[in-house]
Formats: sequence, C-alpha cells, structure tokens
Amino acid sequence: MRFRLLVLPLVALVLLPACRDAKITSYRVPHEMPEPMPPVLSGGAGPATNASADMATMANTAVPTAAGDGLGWTAPAHWKTKPQSAMRKGSYAIAGDDGAEADMAVTAFPGDVGGDLANVNRWRGQIELPPIGEAELGRTSQHLDFNGLHCTFVDFANPDSANPQRILGAIVPFEGATWFFKMMGPDALVAREKTAFLQFLQTVRPRASQP
Amino acid sequence: MNDTTRQFRDFFVSLKLTVVLLALSLILVFAATLDQVNLGIWAVQEKYFRSLFVLWHVGDIPIPVFPGGYLIGGLLLINLIAAHIYRFKFTWKKMGIQLAHAGLILLLIGELLTGLWQEDYQMRLVEGETKNYSESYRRDEFVLIDTTDPKFDEVVAIPVELLAKGGEIQHPKLPFRVVVKRYYPNAVLQLRAQNPTAPESLADKGVGPRLVTVPVQMTYKENERNWSTAFVELVGTEGSIGTWLVTAQLPTSQTFSYAGRTWRLGIRPERTYKPFSLQLLKVTHDVYLGTDIPKNFSSRVRLTTPDGREDREVLIYMNNPLRYAGLTFYQYQMDSEHATSVLQVVRNPSWLIPYISSGLITLGLLYQFVFHLAGFITRRRAA
Repeated sequence: MRFRLLVLPLVALVLLPACRDAKITSYRVPHEMPEPMPPVLSGGAGPATNASADMATMANTAVPTAAGDGLGWTAPAHWKTKPQSAMRKGSYAIAGDDGAEADMAVTAFPGDVGGDLANVNRWRGQIELPPIGEAELGRTSQHLDFNGLHCTFVDFANPDSANPQRILGAIVPFEGATWFFKMMGPDALVAREKTAFLQFLQTVRPRASQP
Repeated sequence: MNDTTRQFRDFFVSLKLTVVLLALSLILVFAATLDQVNLGIWAVQEKYFRSLFVLWHVGDIPIPVFPGGYLIGGLLLINLIAAHIYRFKFTWKKMGIQLAHAGLILLLIGELLTGLWQEDYQMRLVEGETKNYSESYRRDEFVLIDTTDPKFDEVVAIPVELLAKGGEIQHPKLPFRVVVKRYYPNAVLQLRAQNPTAPESLADKGVGPRLVTVPVQMTYKENERNWSTAFVELVGTEGSIGTWLVTAQLPTSQTFSYAGRTWRLGIRPERTYKPFSLQLLKVTHDVYLGTDIPKNFSSRVRLTTPDGREDREVLIYMNNPLRYAGLTFYQYQMDSEHATSVLQVVRNPSWLIPYISSGLITLGLLYQFVFHLAGFITRRRAA
C-alpha cells in the first residue's frame, strides 16, 4: 500500500506538463483597427529608396546580410551619419539647397543577389527609367579598381521627369557577398556630389587591411 | 514484498540518493549560471531547470548529458515523500522536523507548479491608450478575424505550435480549412525587389508575393525574439481561396472576403483578454539631477470594469505593482520620449506556495529549537 503511494508523485510529474497543451480559442471582442502595413508593402506613399529603412523599422531584427566586418570606408565630413538599421551597413544624409536631401546607403547581401544587370535595372526602376540589356550595361557602366577591390559603377538620371532624380551606384563583390553603395536624390544635388562619391569609393577597403 | 520491490523502495528512501541529488543540483545551478552569459535567463531556465534532461545537440540529434531540474527536483520530491512515509515516525519530539520537511516538499511542488502554470505577459500602452488584453513575450498565435460586424470582431486564435505540426486545421467558427504549407519558427523578410532571383513565393494573395522569406536560426537571447512565419492556404467548399504569407513581423492587416464576409489574418503575439481595462494616464521617468541615472519609473493607470464596479486610478512603480484579478502588473519598461510604458503582467496561481512553505519550515525549525531548549533547561534544573 505504501509502495503504491510512491507512484502518485511519479504519475503527477508525467501528467502535469499536459496542462499546457496548445488549444484553438475563439472569442468576440469589440471591433479593433489593426496597425497599417508599412508603406513599402501597402503600395502607398514612400519612395523606393526608403524600402530598406522601412523594412528594417518594421522588423527590428537582423537580416541575413553579409556576415563579418567586411568593408570599411571613410565618409566625407559633410555627409551626415544616419542611425544604423538592421539592413544597412552604412547610412548617410547629404543636405542640398532648399531642404533637398540625398540618401546614401551601404548594404551587403550574401551571393551575387541576381547579378549586376538585375540590380542596375532595379535602380533604374526606382527613378522610373526603363530596363537595359547586357550590351547597354557594358556601355553605361565603368569598372574601377581600388584597394584590391573591383567595382562596377553607374550613374543614371531622369532629367525629363517631373521630379528629376539621379542614382550613383557601385557594386562591389567581396568574399562571396555583394556590397552596394548607392546615392539617390534630386538630380542636381547628386550630380554635385559625384566627385565626393568617387573619392569616397577610393576609401573603401577590407577592414582587415585598414590602417 | 519481493526483493525487487524492496530494492526499489530502498533506493527511493535512501539518504544517499538525497546527497547525490543535492550534489547534482549544485552542479546544475553552477553550469546554468555560467551558461547564462550565452543564453540569457529565459533560455537557461528552459534548458536547465524546466526540463527532464539537459540536452546537447549534435547536428539535429539531441543527446541528454545531465539530469534537468524537473528530474532532479522530481526525484528529490519522491525521495522526501518516501522518507516521510517509511522512515519518520510521528512523535511530538520530532514534529518540528516533520513540519520543516513538509515545508520543503511544498516548496518543491510550488516550483514545479510555477514552472508549469506561471504565465508572463506584457501590456504596452501609449499615454491615453486603453487596453483590455496583454501579450505574450515569446508565444505567437495565428489569428483569423471576421470583421464583418462593424461593432465586433469574431476571433479564432490558433497557437503557432499547431501550425508547426503542419497538416490541416478546421474549426467550427471557420467556413474554410487552414492548410499549412510551410512553417518557420524564425524567419526574416526581404523585399523581392532586393533579391530578384529568389525562388517564387508560395503566397499568391496579400503582401506575400512581394516578399522573400529567409528562415534563420532560432534565438534564445533575452533582447531578441523569434519571428514565427508561415504560408497558409485557405480552402473553402469550392476550392482554394488563396495562399497568404503570415508573420509576426507584419501587422495583422491583410484582408480578404469570402462568402460575403470580410476577414483579417496574420500572426501576432499571443493575447489574453481581461474582464477589465487599463488606460495609461501618465508616464513619469525621473532621473537624478544632472545625470541619466533613473530615479523613478512610474505609470499612472485607470482601472475600469465594464459593469462600472471598478473605476479607480492606480500608480504602478518599482516594487509597487498592481495586483488585480489574480494578475500582478509590474512596471517593466518605459520610453518616456514616446510616452510609452510596458507593464509586465504575471499570472501565477501558485504564488502563495513559497510563502506558506517558508512559514512551515520556519515554524518547524522554531518548534524543534524551542522543544530542545525547553528539554535542556528542564534537565539542567533537575540536575
């Protein structure tokens, strides 16, 4: 009889975890308004250039960008550093006249992220330019070599648009990942910053080899 | 009683077992304390104490390497009860020891019940906002909400653990079946425009086709969370209605219409609704003058019930929680810049047990001490 009493705690120990079984529930609550989708997904306002920032704000979590320290650089003094986000390795604002502002983003993703042509056409789409083919990419892009890195550089503008915009972009493959350096903003402002952008690119180097 | 039964009994009533279990629990606590640096307090509790075995994962295979808290605590409990039944004889002389042991047994049971029943939730409020629900820190639920009625939402909440099992889910309140096509316990999103060569999305409705889902390792760190993500197909009587991407990273605002009714769906932190509401009236964040060192965090809230029986203001601050309806609301986090306060909402039906058991142990030891003292004094006088 006494021995049987011992079995009780053992059985209780095994059965108690069953109290936490996941169950479907249904109930009625007063009508609630959910939070809206981030603009980049709802198709509402918000230029494509803010897509990364939106997504990073939406989910304050790490994204599978290229791992490790990767590349380092020195930004010009007049570029204002913006708060880091999960998707950006570097983020700057460049102020122009009359409150105009250009956005400079450094991002990195594993692999070739679809290749140069797909990414260049994505950038062209952001300033409402039609896609181009491989042959035209060869004609419109420049290849730069600096600090042991190879870079594809492009400069696109849509001066005939109602809202003329320009993109300066550099694609740098590095250790199995692809790094994107992109400046986008009002045509005149970004054109003015082209020299600074190219000088900035010359400072990009693997962190391990930084002085 | 045959030999095997006797051996079994002797094993459980043995004092050696007590010593071994106490030694094992010391090692367990030590190892868990060291591992807290890597895992954080929550994951350590789950891995070391609220488990039968501490598991190491070699690839995908879990290998038990040490007895966990439930096993050691459970065996200690059985050992104590067995010793009570077999070894101890009730006498007034030893009543104190009996009481102290009873307190110890109660303490162990209390910890077991706390581990199984305690629920930690949070309530995030912006100044002026009123809420009648709290949200889980770690558990998510997939919700399908019939929003047709302008006054009420009919909610069907499915814990994501059921999505993880895959297969089909049916519920009397749903005029369609839920077919789980894929479930990830943690995944992050990329815009498809940023990753144009990614495989096509399983989703064909809502925002899913515009996103790429990248599964990532589950995290157990205190300041990070897992983003439950799934692709679910809804199938009505006439066939598929569509496949949606649902994730805790997005608000539950994807909508669709079916059979004349409007629905909303998504994954959100698991909610528990209360029969009362809290409105955040004011957050106060005082710092010591000239420093950023916090002096006081407090939230002034208004507690109301629909029947009007309760309508009062309460000030919640550190060490002064609000206890109401079996729940305790602690001041947890604060963002005074955005006038936001986060209250920790704890339900622990067994919260009184540690107090009762400590009382029993104190009483037992006191009794034993006084009994011996009285005996000693009596003997001394007699001499």
